[in-house]
Amino acid sequence: MGAPGPEGAAGVPPAIEIRGLVKDFAVGLRGLRLRAVDHVSLTVRPGEVFGLLGPNGSGKSTTIKLLLGLLEPTAGGCAIFGVPSGRVEARRDVGYLPEAPNFYRFLTGRELVTFYGRLCGLAGSGLRSKLEEVVALVGLAGAADRRVGTYSKGMLQRIGLAQALVHDPRLLILDEPTAGVDPVGSAEMAELILALKARGKTVLITSHLLGQIEELCDRVAILDRGGLVAEGEVAELAGATGRLSFETEVLPPEEIAALRAWLESRGRRLEAVAPARRRLEEVFRTHVGRGPRDTEGGR
Amino acid sequence: MNAVRFSALRAWLIAGNTLREASRQRFFQFLLLLALALTLGARWLRDFNFGAPELKFLADCGFGAMAFLGAALTIAATAQLFFSEVENRTALTLLAKPVWRAEFVLGKLLGVAALSAVFCALLTGLLSLTLAWREAELSRLLPDAVAPGGGVSHAMVALGGLMQWLRLLVLAAFTLLVATFAQSQLFSVVTGFLILVVCHLQHLAQDAYARAGSAAGLIASSLISSVFPDFQVFQLADSLAAADLPATGDVLRVIVYALSYAAAAAGLAVVSFRRREI
Repeated sequence: MGAPGPEGAAGVPPAIEIRGLVKDFAVGLRGLRLRAVDHVSLTVRPGEVFGLLGPNGSGKSTTIKLLLGLLEPTAGGCAIFGVPSGRVEARRDVGYLPEAPNFYRFLTGRELVTFYGRLCGLAGSGLRSKLEEVVALVGLAGAADRRVGTYSKGMLQRIGLAQALVHDPRLLILDEPTAGVDPVGSAEMAELILALKARGKTVLITSHLLGQIEELCDRVAILDRGGLVAEGEVAELAGATGRLSFETEVLPPEEIAALRAWLESRGRRLEAVAPARRRLEEVFRTHVGRGPRDTEGGR
Repeated sequence: MNAVRFSALRAWLIAGNTLREASRQRFFQFLLLLALALTLGARWLRDFNFGAPELKFLADCGFGAMAFLGAALTIAATAQLFFSEVENRTALTLLAKPVWRAEFVLGKLLGVAALSAVFCALLTGLLSLTLAWREAELSRLLPDAVAPGGGVSHAMVALGGLMQWLRLLVLAAFTLLVATFAQSQLFSVVTGFLILVVCHLQHLAQDAYARAGSAAGLIASSLISSVFPDFQVFQLADSLAAADLPATGDVLRVIVYALSYAAAAAGLAVVSFRRREI
């Protein structure tokens, strides 16, 4: 199948359209081929947060690179807002944060974002105001004049997000934006993504933190061994199980027994009674949440 | 939808960043300091002049440092600055912006060209100062030894510096071409040095084959000489006397020769990098 058509079903081009995408890599001298992406087709609608999930090696990052035109597909194609990915024009409306981002260590945060902004055609007061806006948005205003080489992992992710946002793209592609980031940083990243969604941005995100994906995404696709194995609304895929759970204050054993007897008298069964526990992440965030994060120590 | 056209400004931005990165690397700073020290210290090595006049010996030392250490700097910088973008994955973020791959490749080449220009300019300036200083000293000590109007031509020294830079520019373009398809930095560096040797020695091979009358050898050497530039062409400033200054036409011919080879190698590098998977 060739590259997708320029327009979606409703006449508005989808933010991302992938059709029959295949990517093979040659392995070794004998020309053996490893299929990294296997006939993947999916559509991301403008304004939604879309999660691309899958274990390591499932083809998520390769799909993203194909989408950005950094790799050439073996077959099929993809388009961003109707523009085929291989064209430079397709990247004008995209901000990309790679997995475990690495930036020019000799530049300060401000110089780095300025560099990427100028590459995207920004200049003068427009660039300056956009720079201040995105640096403040990601919470790095106080550290923007420090060398990137002194930044912690969380700060690198945030300056990465700032460079992805500097030209105000309609689509953001975030590859494992919370990998290696502590739970507080991870929660802040989630808040940022929701704020971006509220501004009308489309977000494609990959992550191993399924709980976070569930909170953030409207729809998800699951890849395994290069192929698409599930796709749909989060509520649809991870929705009701046909079962019910209650939460109440601690009850004495005789009241639990009475509850069990009451249910049994109606032909039901009380299957589990367990003390509710706080999640470790909650405990961590309660103790470690510490106000403005741009004073965070560097490496 | 408006097309994104090739932009020289984006290539310059990438070049500026490349130069900035290079100027912060200790290895390149060390090579520059070593070359400066050799140029300045040649005065104290004049006992090893093998019979050459002293000022000529000083100039040969300066240009020798520029040629040898400049080639090492250019080859290492081209390979290192290109592969650091790929290996550190900064190229991913950069090429995910609306940037043409040609802009990236040309930006890298211009960055290295600027680095070698700074290197050659600093060394040429220092060499000129050293020669002027020693010439003044010799005129004072041995007034008869330096004939009026027969001293050092600084225009000739500047021309020598320009020729060295043109040679390094061509070398950078060829090394970059190799880097765009090579899988390792080491391969690019080794191949860069091989290219340097071929470019320097091809005229000797041609002479040898011509003397031997070997048709196969002549065909092979002709092929090599049409693919690789002959670095002997850049030996325009072999003397320090103003009277030996080459004609402007000859200088322009060498500049066009160097730029043509650099442009051809850069063009091939762009084609090669277009299909490279990042």
